[in-house]
Amino acid sequence: MTELLSRDDFRAALEQAIVGNEAKNASFSLAWANGDLSREHFARWAENHYHYVGPFADYLAYIYSNTPDNCTDAKDFLLQNMYEEELSDVRHTDLLIRFAEACGTTAERVTDPRNMNAVTRGLQGWCYAVSMREHFAVATAALVVGLESQVPSIYRRQLPPLIEKYGFTEDEVEFFDLHITSDEVHGERGYQIVLDHATTPELQLRCLDIVRAGAQMRFSYTKALYDTYVAPDLVPA
Amino acid sequence: MPTITFATSGFAVDFPDNDDVNMLRVSIRNECGVPYRCASGNCGTDRVFIESGAEHLSAPRKRERERLGPLLEQGWRLACQVYAAGDVTVSWDPEQRPLDERAVDRSLPSASAERLQRRWLAVDDTE
Repeated sequence: MTELLSRDDFRAALEQAIVGNEAKNASFSLAWANGDLSREHFARWAENHYHYVGPFADYLAYIYSNTPDNCTDAKDFLLQNMYEEELSDVRHTDLLIRFAEACGTTAERVTDPRNMNAVTRGLQGWCYAVSMREHFAVATAALVVGLESQVPSIYRRQLPPLIEKYGFTEDEVEFFDLHITSDEVHGERGYQIVLDHATTPELQLRCLDIVRAGAQMRFSYTKALYDTYVAPDLVPA
Repeated sequence: MPTITFATSGFAVDFPDNDDVNMLRVSIRNECGVPYRCASGNCGTDRVFIESGAEHLSAPRKRERERLGPLLEQGWRLACQVYAAGDVTVSWDPEQRPLDERAVDRSLPSASAERLQRRWLAVDDTE
């Protein structure tokens, strides 16, 4: 890629970079949406998901520190996103723990890093590495476009069966309800930051590559949940 | 092709048939001017009055019901919380403020700020 893509073409390319690796189509997501999982499987999901999303404000803080002072729009977005994760309302990880406890596990088990599997550990490490080392537009492309912007499409499929099939209350599943809508806006603003600040062909290419990698990471993480916790339950005794 | 009409700013945005779209996301992407702050149903800055097409909107969930209260029955919705699946027209007060200032201004008391303050006061800094 030697020429700078137009804003519309770059956006379309970013969206296309996720296609084929959408986490909503991973085996664990499909089993969840189809109502094939048990509360024990949800508990294992929560024990892993905490270690992926729990440090999200930390990831964003590294990107914030790498963002030049004159990129006020990007800095404000990152700071607002951090604030919403941690302080603006109920802390998001507290909502995740609330759901986990309704599934029968405990806050101690959720926060214990020994309870995540190796692929989750890899995703967490990738998030830290990208946020610390990459140009802020590239890191935003990875974490916000590649990962966070997928959330509404995943949770919009997963929330209805939690209430209708499994009988969770609205309070117990508030984690999902909150992220369906907040990540619509975070995702959209993330696209804007990337479109505004990836201003060379080289930066645009790095953004596209890392969005593709991010989608692969999230897909692998979601698939590994199925392989680790669900597939063994399907083997006849 | 259905359309969201943002009457206050004079914009209209089409979206594909058989799709549904988050109203605030459409507004941000197309610079249609709906004011917002938190985007998580907490502050209420992005409330819009539904001029027409309420039947094409998603049902209000917990956060929207709790934030809007009686405003919901008067025809208001939160753009960040609502999905449109057909033609809809909305308006708003361009100068409107959050419904709860504490949701966006940490200089005002909030549960978390009070918690932090208690923790600071509990530390004996004379030692």
